[in-house]
Amino acid sequence: MKEKVKEVKMKRRWGMAIDLDKCTGCGKCSVACNQENNMPIFEDDSDVPKRVAFLELMKVTNDRDAKFPDVKTAYLPKMCQMCEGNDPKNPNPPCVSVCPAVATDVGDDGVVSQIWSRCIGCRYCQTACPYEARVFNWWKPEYEGSFKKSLSTDVSVASRGTVVKCTFCSHIWKRERDAATAKGILDINAVLYTPACAGTCPTGAIVFGDLNDHDSEVYKLTQTDRAVRLTNPVDDVKDADKKKSLLKAKQFTNPKVYYLTSQQWLRDMMRFKKNS
Amino acid sequence: MKKIERKDFLKLGGGAVLGGLSGWVFSGAPFLGFQWLAEWTQDQYVPVKGFEKYAQAVSDSCPAGCKVSVRMIGDRAVKIESKDGVCPACHNALQLTYHPERISTPLKRKGDKGDGKFVPVTWEEAVKEISSKMNSLITEGKANSIAAINKNESLNGQLMEKFIKAAGSNNVYYEPSLKSLTSSALGGYINYDFANTDYVLSFGAKLVEGWDSSADMQKVFTQWKTKGTKIVQADTVCSMTASLASEWVPVKPGTEAVLAFGIANYLITGRRLNSTGEEFGKWSQLIINKFPLAKVASYTGVSEERIKKIGDDFSKAKNPVAVSGKGACGVNASSAEIIAVYCLNTLVKSKAATLMTNSSVTYKGEFAGLDSFIKDGKFSMLFLNNSDPVYKSVLGEDLKKKMEKAFVVSINPIMNDSANYADIILPSLSFLESETPENKAVVSNFKESKDAKDIIIALSKSLDKTKDTFSFASGIDSFKVAGKETASGAKFSFNVDKIKNDIDALDKKFAANAEYPLFMIPVEAPLVGDGDGLAFPYVLKSIDPTVFYKGKLLVQINRETGKKYGLSENESIVIRSARGKLDKVYVHLTDTVAPDTVAMPLGFGHESYTKYGSDKGVNPKKIMAADVDPLTGTADWWSTRVKIS
Amino acid sequence: MEILKKWFKAGYDGIFEGTSKNMRIALYVLIVLSILFGIFAIQILFWGLGYTDMDNNFAWGAWIIGDLGLVALGGGAFTTGYLLYIFRVDKLRPIINSTVLIGFMCYLFTFVFLLFDLGQPLRAWFGFAYPNWGQGVYPVSMLTEVFFCLSLYFCILVVELIPTVLEHKVLIKNKYVAMVAHYMHLLMWTMAAGGTFLSFFHQGSLGGGMWGVLYAKTVWYAPHFFFMAVVAAMAGGTSFMTLVPYIAGKIMKKEVVPMETYQILTRISGFIFIFYFIFRSYDIYAAVYKYAPMGGREFIDMWGGYYGIWMLVLEMLLFAGPLIFLNIKKYREQEKFMVIGASCGVGAIVVSKLSVLLHGFSAPNFPWKGFTAYGPTFQEWIITFGVFALMILIYMAFVKWFPLFPHLEHNEHDAHH
Ligand code: SF4
Ligand code: SF4
Ligand code: SF4
Repeated sequence: MKEKVKEVKMKRRWGMAIDLDKCTGCGKCSVACNQENNMPIFEDDSDVPKRVAFLELMKVTNDRDAKFPDVKTAYLPKMCQMCEGNDPKNPNPPCVSVCPAVATDVGDDGVVSQIWSRCIGCRYCQTACPYEARVFNWWKPEYEGSFKKSLSTDVSVASRGTVVKCTFCSHIWKRERDAATAKGILDINAVLYTPACAGTCPTGAIVFGDLNDHDSEVYKLTQTDRAVRLTNPVDDVKDADKKKSLLKAKQFTNPKVYYLTSQQWLRDMMRFKKNS
Repeated sequence: MKKIERKDFLKLGGGAVLGGLSGWVFSGAPFLGFQWLAEWTQDQYVPVKGFEKYAQAVSDSCPAGCKVSVRMIGDRAVKIESKDGVCPACHNALQLTYHPERISTPLKRKGDKGDGKFVPVTWEEAVKEISSKMNSLITEGKANSIAAINKNESLNGQLMEKFIKAAGSNNVYYEPSLKSLTSSALGGYINYDFANTDYVLSFGAKLVEGWDSSADMQKVFTQWKTKGTKIVQADTVCSMTASLASEWVPVKPGTEAVLAFGIANYLITGRRLNSTGEEFGKWSQLIINKFPLAKVASYTGVSEERIKKIGDDFSKAKNPVAVSGKGACGVNASSAEIIAVYCLNTLVKSKAATLMTNSSVTYKGEFAGLDSFIKDGKFSMLFLNNSDPVYKSVLGEDLKKKMEKAFVVSINPIMNDSANYADIILPSLSFLESETPENKAVVSNFKESKDAKDIIIALSKSLDKTKDTFSFASGIDSFKVAGKETASGAKFSFNVDKIKNDIDALDKKFAANAEYPLFMIPVEAPLVGDGDGLAFPYVLKSIDPTVFYKGKLLVQINRETGKKYGLSENESIVIRSARGKLDKVYVHLTDTVAPDTVAMPLGFGHESYTKYGSDKGVNPKKIMAADVDPLTGTADWWSTRVKIS
Repeated sequence: MEILKKWFKAGYDGIFEGTSKNMRIALYVLIVLSILFGIFAIQILFWGLGYTDMDNNFAWGAWIIGDLGLVALGGGAFTTGYLLYIFRVDKLRPIINSTVLIGFMCYLFTFVFLLFDLGQPLRAWFGFAYPNWGQGVYPVSMLTEVFFCLSLYFCILVVELIPTVLEHKVLIKNKYVAMVAHYMHLLMWTMAAGGTFLSFFHQGSLGGGMWGVLYAKTVWYAPHFFFMAVVAAMAGGTSFMTLVPYIAGKIMKKEVVPMETYQILTRISGFIFIFYFIFRSYDIYAAVYKYAPMGGREFIDMWGGYYGIWMLVLEMLLFAGPLIFLNIKKYREQEKFMVIGASCGVGAIVVSKLSVLLHGFSAPNFPWKGFTAYGPTFQEWIITFGVFALMILIYMAFVKWFPLFPHLEHNEHDAHH
């Protein structure tokens, strides 16, 4: 039965579109992600740079570009951006090639995975990731007393000294696939899923789906003018020839997480140079 | 001969050792050993496996009654999911249910109040002690000195109200909320028909940041986005609501009421609109004389043209609604402000705002509201039903003193600042542990804790005077008697005599003040709200570094203002108001805040809200303004004059 | 107990006998540092890296700076070895033992630093067991390459060091030992060749490639980094190899290595520095006009912050030392200028490594964030300086008990006659 599952060619290429004009910064996605992924529980988690969380609800203001009262505020839920490099057929996320122990890899569904128990904790991948999406267990993950009861069995508890990251909740996909297999559906492509953060967002700001499926909502959203990716300068080059030559000269991250906004200030703030 | 033998022997031995060693290495055994050593030193906890299923639960402890679906592994709840949206408290119920500092048995105070020393007692002992105390007060004819403070109007709050009233006391109060404030000011809380409005004019109500029923508001906001509803937000900081609104009207700190006067003024004089509210004539005269547009413009910092424009847009919209209640989870507004904003609705005959009442909830007691009760009330016995007035009220310190002299009973699942002053603590449940008519409890009760409803019923049964208050013995049956919400029908009155003084006082409030040149206004961080979230680690994990960073609480100050006072980022400052000072606060400079304003995060500085919630930052309520509003009986703490050094 | 006391006294005498007061103080400091190193090593290894000031943004800190510095400066060992054994620059022979020892220690302690930096030191062998080699001949991860090259080169250094140990005056009396030492010397050129080959890879990978391949990080991305780091190691390493015995000689007040040898080595160093300087200038030019714009950033914005421009300026100033003093014969032949030149050269390399690391991590990854700073904790300082103290102690021990400077023994030998 397993063999059969393997034979099927993967069609999916998971991606996400996050509508920042809809996000109210409520933080539900963060709580859901923490619950789903067994995030460690510390007495004081305010040492933000050492904090272990897959999803960071970043507060963005345009203090750089404007003065009161022309200012604006937004929250930007930031998780692993699932970079794929220049060639979607042959993905090359910046963090994968550097790992000396193959603890992180990119799957044929485009998801950048991480095996906690294989990681030696050298943090080269953290250095390589431009989105600060990888976190290191600087301290031993703690779950005081009865908090342990709330731990899910789908995600293993990481050891101290390993790097962990958002995996697009791929264990949920596995869960759904297992459920489907039990019902006799063996085609992995038949099963879709929703990660915890997308499933919990009360305003529907986070849309998740298959970027290869051109009928999917997420694909359509990423094709609109409102779509913008975090600090990915090649996106701003409109001239096709120039773009081609740029892509030849250098790899770009080309994330599979898109942000949607029609607010110009926010688009500006997502670039290092104003109005680029 | 012998010698050679020995050599051979050595050779053989050496070879054997070498061969063995290399065999051992190549077998991978040492590497496996390393692996074991690694695992052993790391001591990874492996969550207990179990059968996976989903259980449904409805919250009986939040007013919105969140409906959630809980992912279970065996008998453990591991994830809360919801299709209809869920409020932050219910979303965090896992960490309440499994909180390592859950109260496991009834506790009795040992040592001085506030020391936090308690010893376990049995339920029988606890109930007996409470009922004998109550009994003696009742027989002495001092029944009215028994008081209760409810967290909210959920079912157990309603039962508490019934119980205390049956005992012969009129002193039941609620932690101030949007409902309680508007109810007291208008004679009914407002039910907004947000789905059908096309123009929302909000006076500092942070509509999408936890205001009112946050789960519903998120849904409403999505509808607004799709329909293109116009949202106009008057606010002093560029909050999320302000930023997402179609229009942000930056107002000077605390002048939302004045802006409402100005707009009303324009609608009455400029557009000849009328309100049917009682005493409208008197009120409009007052406003028109006292708040001409020029003055409003100078107080609020909003130009006359803009005020007129807002007035025009508002009155011309098809179904406009004006919303009062500044803040998100911690709402605050004076009755003058609530009335002025509601007046706008009556002027344009808004169909989207209806006054409502709940048949089981009256927000007034002997006093108009919680703060006036704390200030002027006397009590010998106090029930705290999951409420934390010591932390939440600006008069918390006064309450502490009064609680030291009274017999205090606190019903709650984990410790909080108020329970620390209790004589008896009764452990209650998280909603995942309580049964509702539709659903069984998701997980079993934690140790000896009990459903708050059952506790209250048991207490009432233990007293002769109240034993017939409830016709049922179990909390599950109490759902039948839950209060009904109906349109209030009461006639809206401007109550001019009661609020006139406050309106007069506004001039003084906004006059230049050399000693306290700045205004402090509250802001809230996502999930933290006005403090309830802080005991839950996943809330702590989500706090932005511009709010609380490495144990330091940051206040937001405008960059220009910062320059004026020579402040630099992350610098430590002391904030002083006429009521006291706050130290250990740090500066975050940002232009999202109006000049001359200190934007102070609420929700921090708990004293004993479990080790996760305690001793983090400061509680600004301690120094916030404490003038109690005559109608709402709640302090008007929103903007406080301060200085920094 | 008695035995222990005796043993301790003997050891104490052995170390401190006949030392001057200053020397004694220095030794105390070094020994205390080494002991503290041992204590905090336990804390770091068993309770984790939380005690450092590194974080998810500043993923690497003091120890990686140590690695980069040590490996770059230790690069003098392969350069010298190559010149001596392959190019037969025989005048370098008096310095070769010292060079090999320094190289050996640099690599040994690079391992130590790396081990500390691993979150899971016990899983270090995963690097060999599951190497990220990819499809090609060349490993995909620069760190995999570092793992393998460093280990192999370290083995070579051990072999190179053995003769020095064997030539200890007691050991060498044994005829077998003498024979082994002799043959090892003869075969040393193979080691030198192998070492040079390996060094070219790992010098490039640890010093430059590690950073240059990070295509998503505009502060670092520069494909030519790899080659530049090799040149840097040759230039700085040779200067460093001159300086260490020179300082040792000054302290011992003896001529441990003939001036002639120093001259050759510094001349070579100065010469390579010219290349390095050109390379580095191109590097900056490319960063400003090519890589920064490609990354959607402006160089000058990116190079603000705590460790930005000033480090670059300092590096440039330091370059002047080796470029002028080591290349112009007139200056080089004056001992003072030679030393200044070599020190500046070492300084330039160290500053460049510091700025790669500190500045690279400090630059914000998001446009709405500011530069970050890094302040190593007490533990980090102790581990770092403890390592340096241990290195100095080992070097001193070798000076004292092993024939580290054949030249010195020659002279003493002559004097005896
Ligand atoms: S759950 Fe949705 S609305 Fe809330 S913060 Fe996350 S993305 Fe924004
Ligand atoms: S965001 Fe970071 S961790 Fe995620 S794929 Fe990109 S480089 Fe890797
Ligand atoms: S996809 Fe899953 S792991 Fe990633 S941020 Fe969302 S909830 Fe967290």
